Amino acid sequence: MYLWKCWRDTRSFFLVFLIGAAIVMPVAALVCKGTGLVEEFGANAFQSTFGLILVAVALGLAAIGAIHEFGDKTAHFLFTKPRSRAYFVWVSWSVGLGELLAIAAVNFLAGWLTLLRFSKNPLHSPVFGPVTSQQLVEGLIMAIYTYSLAYSLTAILRSGLKGLGAAMGIVFGLPFLAIAVRWRWHINLPIPTSPIGNLSLVASDLTWTFVALLFVFIAQIVIERGEV
Amino acid sequence: MSELAISVNRLTKVYGDVLAVNRLDLSVPRGSIYGFLGRNGAGKTSTIKMLLGLTRPTSGSAHVLGMDILASRMPILRRTAFVSEKKTLPPSLTPSELVRFSRGFYPTWLDQAVEKYARLLEIPMNQRFERLSNGNQTKVFLLLALAQGAELLILDEPTTALDPVSVDQLLRVLAADAADRGTTVFFSSHQLEEVEQIAEYVGMVEGGRLLMESRLDDVKNDFRVITAAGSNLPRETNSQVLSVEVKDNFYRYVITKDGEGYAGDLAQNGATVTHVAPLSLREIFLELVRKEKLCTSGNAGETPVLSSSSS
Repeated sequence: MYLWKCWRDTRSFFLVFLIGAAIVMPVAALVCKGTGLVEEFGANAFQSTFGLILVAVALGLAAIGAIHEFGDKTAHFLFTKPRSRAYFVWVSWSVGLGELLAIAAVNFLAGWLTLLRFSKNPLHSPVFGPVTSQQLVEGLIMAIYTYSLAYSLTAILRSGLKGLGAAMGIVFGLPFLAIAVRWRWHINLPIPTSPIGNLSLVASDLTWTFVALLFVFIAQIVIERGEV
Repeated sequence: MSELAISVNRLTKVYGDVLAVNRLDLSVPRGSIYGFLGRNGAGKTSTIKMLLGLTRPTSGSAHVLGMDILASRMPILRRTAFVSEKKTLPPSLTPSELVRFSRGFYPTWLDQAVEKYARLLEIPMNQRFERLSNGNQTKVFLLLALAQGAELLILDEPTTALDPVSVDQLLRVLAADAADRGTTVFFSSHQLEEVEQIAEYVGMVEGGRLLMESRLDDVKNDFRVITAAGSNLPRETNSQVLSVEVKDNFYRYVITKDGEGYAGDLAQNGATVTHVAPLSLREIFLELVRKEKLCTSGNAGETPVLSSSSS
């Protein structure tokens, strides 16, 4: 029943994001019709927007989902139900993750079908070469990382705005920090979701996924020990 | 099985520099309606939050339905219904959807109670919660609590923002539910007239401390105000004399027990007793709070806590 409530709380936002993810590539293709841009750069543009759209959706879904459950005004209602706080944290997170993956699937499908109309090999750009599955997986993992980070911060701070702001600061600020550290101390900080040191791509992807889960686990610990 | 629905022993809660609850003791008998009285900021909500595991005590202990609040949070929540001081629920859900959501958590859920109270309290069940009036929002809380089939109902300021008709409706429903199912009702309030309507027991707190806990009838029977005229009459307060006001040769005593006996003693000492009358709960509360303030201003911690006049 709680699963249903989480879905009920976020479904309108989910549908808006879903429609946006479904139409972005077809609309872009329609606008660029006759210019040849889609044929030459479509695959590459799709790969870039796939990650960007998902990160934006992840931020939105995380803040909305977490604040509905753990906001100051309604947390007392939830936390006086005879279920552990860990249950509420993970179920609510899972619902948002499911929505994020559904949006990713629709976005990918819509992009792929759109590009298919212009080329027999939709995920290959004559200018930049093929779009690899690793690039798409990286985009997806970045979205999951961002979603988990924003969800956890929103739940811990009990404020959608603060959680969103803090998550955006970390997600968009970390690359700049890494550049500064490399420039000043010649140390390579790992940036989500790029490969970590000498680890293989799969191991790096798994590590970043694990980091994302770690955020939720930390949120669970904080919420379990927090006072309402 | 414990005879007490709630038993609190020297419960203390400190938020930073603020002592919200100070060595509080409470005893709420099973099946009773207990009014937990105090001004805003007296420590009522903090106490309730500790009972429900929403916040942890700094020290002391408490048992709800015979179970320790720290060790048995889940079993307590399964058998306890709660109406929060903050009357906010997920805003986009309708009362029907809130019922659908809440039902799954409680094996004792009563569907017939939902129908009964929705009709009785005239709740629009298919309107989004955020669009309901304040009164109806409170009623939805109450409906969810009553339908839970809980043994203990904890209500934090349930009548806030309600009009007099709704207050009356709500109090009737609470009293009827307690009578029908033997539910224990523990409700906090600073609306003393409402408490007086339905409570069997009262506990009064001020500054996080218990001022008095007793059966309401006993409080009303025991407390007396005596006005007397005379010279050199006693001015000391003690466990029987709560307060003494003197103006010229006129004395006003508030007596906690055996008022008639005390009036007789005054008469024997040459006083002319002009008036012996019972006090309303409101007057008793004001007297106790005033006494507490007088004592705590100069000798914090020395205020004598009136023990139950009977149980």
